[in-house]
Amino acid sequence: MFALVKLIQSLLGALHSEGTPGQLAAGIALGSIMGLTPLVNFHNAVVFALILLLNVSFAGGMLGWAVFVPVGFVLDPLFDWIGHQLLFAASLRSLWTTLYNTPVVPLTNFNNTVVLGSLVFALLFAIPLFFAVRWAVTRYRATIGERVRQSRWYQAVTASKVYNVYRLFKP
Amino acid sequence: MSVKIFRWRAIGPLLVLVVIAGILWWLFADTIARRETQKVGTQMLGAKVEIQDLHLDLKNGDVTIRGLTIASPHEPFKNLIQADEIVADLDMLPLTEKKIIIDRIAANGLRFGTPRRTDGRVAAKTGEGIAGRVLLEARQWASQFQVPVLQLATGKLSIDSLDPRKLSTIPAAEALAARADSSRRAWQTAFDGLRLGPTLDSANATLERLRRARVTDLAALNDGRRAIDQLKRARDRVTALERGVKDGAAGLRAGLAGLDSARRRDYAFARSLLKLPSLDAPEVGAALFAPGAITPFERVFYWAQLARRYMPPGLWPRATTGPTRLRHAGEDVRFPKERSLPRFLLRSAELSFLLKGTQRYAGRLTGLASDPALYGRPTLFGATGPQLAAGAMLDHVRGVPEDTAGVTVGGIRLPAFQVPALPLRLDPGDATAQLGFNLRGDTVHARWAIRSSNVQWARDSGLAHTLVGDLIWRTVSGISNLEVEARVSGTIAHPQLAVRSNLDQAIAARLRAVLGEEVAAAERRLRAQVDAFVNAKVEPVRARVTELQTQVLDQVAQQRARVDELQRSLEQRLRELVPVRLP
Repeated sequence: MFALVKLIQSLLGALHSEGTPGQLAAGIALGSIMGLTPLVNFHNAVVFALILLLNVSFAGGMLGWAVFVPVGFVLDPLFDWIGHQLLFAASLRSLWTTLYNTPVVPLTNFNNTVVLGSLVFALLFAIPLFFAVRWAVTRYRATIGERVRQSRWYQAVTASKVYNVYRLFKP
Repeated sequence: MSVKIFRWRAIGPLLVLVVIAGILWWLFADTIARRETQKVGTQMLGAKVEIQDLHLDLKNGDVTIRGLTIASPHEPFKNLIQADEIVADLDMLPLTEKKIIIDRIAANGLRFGTPRRTDGRVAAKTGEGIAGRVLLEARQWASQFQVPVLQLATGKLSIDSLDPRKLSTIPAAEALAARADSSRRAWQTAFDGLRLGPTLDSANATLERLRRARVTDLAALNDGRRAIDQLKRARDRVTALERGVKDGAAGLRAGLAGLDSARRRDYAFARSLLKLPSLDAPEVGAALFAPGAITPFERVFYWAQLARRYMPPGLWPRATTGPTRLRHAGEDVRFPKERSLPRFLLRSAELSFLLKGTQRYAGRLTGLASDPALYGRPTLFGATGPQLAAGAMLDHVRGVPEDTAGVTVGGIRLPAFQVPALPLRLDPGDATAQLGFNLRGDTVHARWAIRSSNVQWARDSGLAHTLVGDLIWRTVSGISNLEVEARVSGTIAHPQLAVRSNLDQAIAARLRAVLGEEVAAAERRLRAQVDAFVNAKVEPVRARVTELQTQVLDQVAQQRARVDELQRSLEQRLRELVPVRLP
């Protein structure tokens, strides 16, 4: 329940933040990469650092992560298949062999079928996701955004302590 | 209004996070490494790997493991190996390529086969992972061996109830009886179809006229000649019928012979119901010791196959099950490259272990590599000590892998075991055990032998008061030497097992002497039982067939004789009337 409230708070906070729709969309797109791929991997540390360092919506990033974690679980068989196709493609074998025997690169676990398949999928998916979210946020703010901000339940949700924590990282 | 790309104020928190991560690593690196080692080891070996303490000294490239326990993947409450302390000297640079290169390991206080409190098997219970699949393969491989069952536990010959419905003679006799009836009807119809009565009557009348006729009575002479022609045609019909009857009778006689064959088959079937004890020496040896001999072969086969999975020949990309995690494990694909380091390499290990309680032994392992083709040399193992010689070579460098192992251990205490199919317990006492194994490609040659000069026999009450039991007991209880040898040869798909022991000939000779008479008597009883069922059906059929063929042939012969007699009389009278034969 707490997670759900937090998710709603994040969503509302992001939608009504001072950040641009592009910042929110970029945050969600980066967060989706963390959600779709197995978490404890080197590339997710890089993505997390990007969410912090780039001027994107941190709340959007956390929201994207939270939303796409279950999607990642569901799509794991697909990621496994994609990764298997890529890692066993004859035309890519020399590339993988070079990467596998290059320092640091193997630490990314790129040679795991699920990691590679999910990362490739997430990177490709992030582009249309970015544009779709940016368009949706723009439409939301232009239409019902102000009415939602004036509503009582919005005031109630955003008044909680969790919201205050979120504000520390608002764009 | 332009939007800034970087959020510079986040650098501080990010650095704090990095520092926190560094501190956590410093605090928990040993624990993380210990847990990961346990997890990976368990997954690889198919049995629980437990470590009491692991310390990483990255500065000097040392890893120290204390209290290592690896459970047996085959036995629930036994450890495969325990080690007091293992110190590994790691190459640090290859770790950046996620490659574990160990220059040297010193392992002290190794012990084998120690008991444990909990079931440490993993692959045997879950069947998952490479270890689970290999374990299943090894079980299937071992299940191919046909182990004969020695059925003499009570010394009685058991005869299962003989069901007359399963005897083939009875339906064959019924079919033959039906065939005989059918033949009888067919022959009677054919006989009636001859219509001999009018022909014979007409011929008789003509003969009477000829007896009263004179030589000038040409009409009577012509009637006489016509009657002779009719009789000849009737005789031909009788001859044809006789031929048919003889053929049919031959068929019925063949049917009777078929009944004899069916009876012999029924004797064989009845004999199959007789649970005969094995009287051949090789079968006795296999029945007694094969179940125990297959176990070491199965285990060595498991380890050899596991080594082939983890140390495959060649440089092709190869997949292994990925790490265990909440998400799908997927597969980790290795891409070995020429003139580079393998994923795992143990250059040398010095092993110090304990056998028989306190005796210390030394062993050496070299060249254990995940990609033997990259390392270029086979894995070698050797150990020596008092009453011990062991060696192994895993040569996966070339395309056709070859695994060889041999061990001779003297003075070991083998556990007492129940002799299969016999209420006898054999305690081999202190024995010498040998195991040789060679797997080249998919061809296997293996030998397992034990030799003991002080065996003890114990007798269960189930063997008492039976003739065979007494004899077996008297035979084996006087034998204090035991020599058992089992050999496996052939391909993995079709292995052959041969087992022999010094008990085989002794037990088989006794069995032949005693059970030979009993087997013959049991066979006689069975034949009598079969005859009792079969004779009731077969003898009436036999009598009916014999009577039928006699009766019909007699009938045909009588008619033929009448025709012949009339023909002869007519011809005689015509010759008397016309002595000169006219053209």
